[in-house]
Amino acid sequence: MILRGGYFFRRALRNMRQSPVLSLASVGTIAVALALLAFFAIAVLNVQQLTASWGESLVIVAYLDEVPEDEVVKGWINDIEQYPEVNKVDFVSREKAFERFRKRLGDDAGLVEGLGPEVLPASLEISLVEKSQNEIAMTAVVDRLRVDHRFTDLQYGQGWLEKLEAFLLLLRASGAALGGFLVFAALVIVANTIKLTLYARQDELEAMAMVGATSLFIKLPFLVEGALQGFFGGLAALGLSFMVFEIILQKSLGSLLLITGIDTIHFLPVVWQVMLIVGGGLIGLLGSLFALRKFVRFGAL
Amino acid sequence: MIQLYNVCKAFQRDQYALKDVTLSVEKGEFVYLTGPSGAGKSTLLKLLYCAERPTRGQILVNGRNITRYGVSRIPYLRRNIGIIFQDFKLLTRRTVYENVAFPLEVQGRKRFEISKKVYQTLKNVGLEHRLNHQPLQLSGGEQQRVAVARALVVDPLVLLADEPTGNLDPEVTLDIMELFKGANARGTTIIMATHDRSLIRQFPRRVVSLDSGSLAMDDMPLFGGPTEKTG
Repeated sequence: MILRGGYFFRRALRNMRQSPVLSLASVGTIAVALALLAFFAIAVLNVQQLTASWGESLVIVAYLDEVPEDEVVKGWINDIEQYPEVNKVDFVSREKAFERFRKRLGDDAGLVEGLGPEVLPASLEISLVEKSQNEIAMTAVVDRLRVDHRFTDLQYGQGWLEKLEAFLLLLRASGAALGGFLVFAALVIVANTIKLTLYARQDELEAMAMVGATSLFIKLPFLVEGALQGFFGGLAALGLSFMVFEIILQKSLGSLLLITGIDTIHFLPVVWQVMLIVGGGLIGLLGSLFALRKFVRFGAL
Repeated sequence: MIQLYNVCKAFQRDQYALKDVTLSVEKGEFVYLTGPSGAGKSTLLKLLYCAERPTRGQILVNGRNITRYGVSRIPYLRRNIGIIFQDFKLLTRRTVYENVAFPLEVQGRKRFEISKKVYQTLKNVGLEHRLNHQPLQLSGGEQQRVAVARALVVDPLVLLADEPTGNLDPEVTLDIMELFKGANARGTTIIMATHDRSLIRQFPRRVVSLDSGSLAMDDMPLFGGPTEKTG
């Protein structure tokens, strides 16, 4: 059967050449469905990267009403850096805080003319390791710091973090739902296309059964045909999404996206690109399987 | 070669296409299956290549009880049976060569073997010059000859023909019958359904008649005589 793979492949290609409109319809449908999926995946991936970069800049700030001696501060920093969630602790003196504040004001720096650094508190900025940059880990660290009465005024943007995580969850769930719907739609279209092909070739299938072709011999070219249509659809989807990425996303929206903090938007990683093509092939194969299961028992023709 | 024992076939309750048919066909025989329309000729042939299953009774082909065959074994039965229809049932999208080659491809024969066999078979039916034509480019008689070639290319044990000359004019009919005679002379058992009495007169062989699904007559006319075409 393996050696005859070439025979079935050639028959599948011939079948496609003989029904070009149906084949194109199938390929086109899979291409559109997978391209939409690819666009969504690009959006989700880039938003995830953006939010991950935002997450890196999330810090817990422990404000200090009074600044102790350097040795004491170093001891505090050392203690906090022992937490498994903590990556680094920086001491921000009043002077440093005031300087940052002036820079942020930009042209309005004159507003703080006549004021000194004593108007702002010193603080410890606690940044977490990557895997702890989430609401649960941050809350745990904050709770532990609160138990330690040295730190009473702790800020970490908790409300914003909750919303960010909820947004990411919604994005992933929407992507999964949309993806599932698109894949199902593509499956149905491919199944119907293959069914139409089977009906159009009913006489051929009968003749095959007459001369002793087994069910597998009759069905295999259609399975290969479905897989090929899906494979070409996947390739087309990859090409289409890359074109849109290059022409629209990169060029037209590039400057707009800079504002959100994205300096480069990324196309799908290679693994995902391969999955797109392989996924197309699988959709085509499954669609053919569904169509063939409902078709006539060839042995009884 | 073929035995039917008390075979019945009902498509609906109390509506029998075949009733209690018991019949035996020896290897190398040529049998006409006759009867009016609706007598059950086509149904009997369909039972022999398992396109239908008998409601009751047993059918043996070459010693094997085909009524017990599962779906997966039927293709292997059909590889030893050549089947010819009134409407040819050729693959119109394929060439003459491809139509005749197909049964050998199904059996997994090698390309060189297929090529040689197909050419020889088409030469036997006088169509070796039409290899690359498509069926719809041929006349009715030529198409039926391609169908005969397709049936004979696998050297079948049995040839089943369901009204093979029904759509053909008398001259072409004679050509087709000569092909059948040749195959029969080489040892192929032939069962041919027909209601053409003139054909039976011209080529007298054993006649099995059906009437309303029952066996009405099983007669062996004398060979030779003025009704057979000679030369």
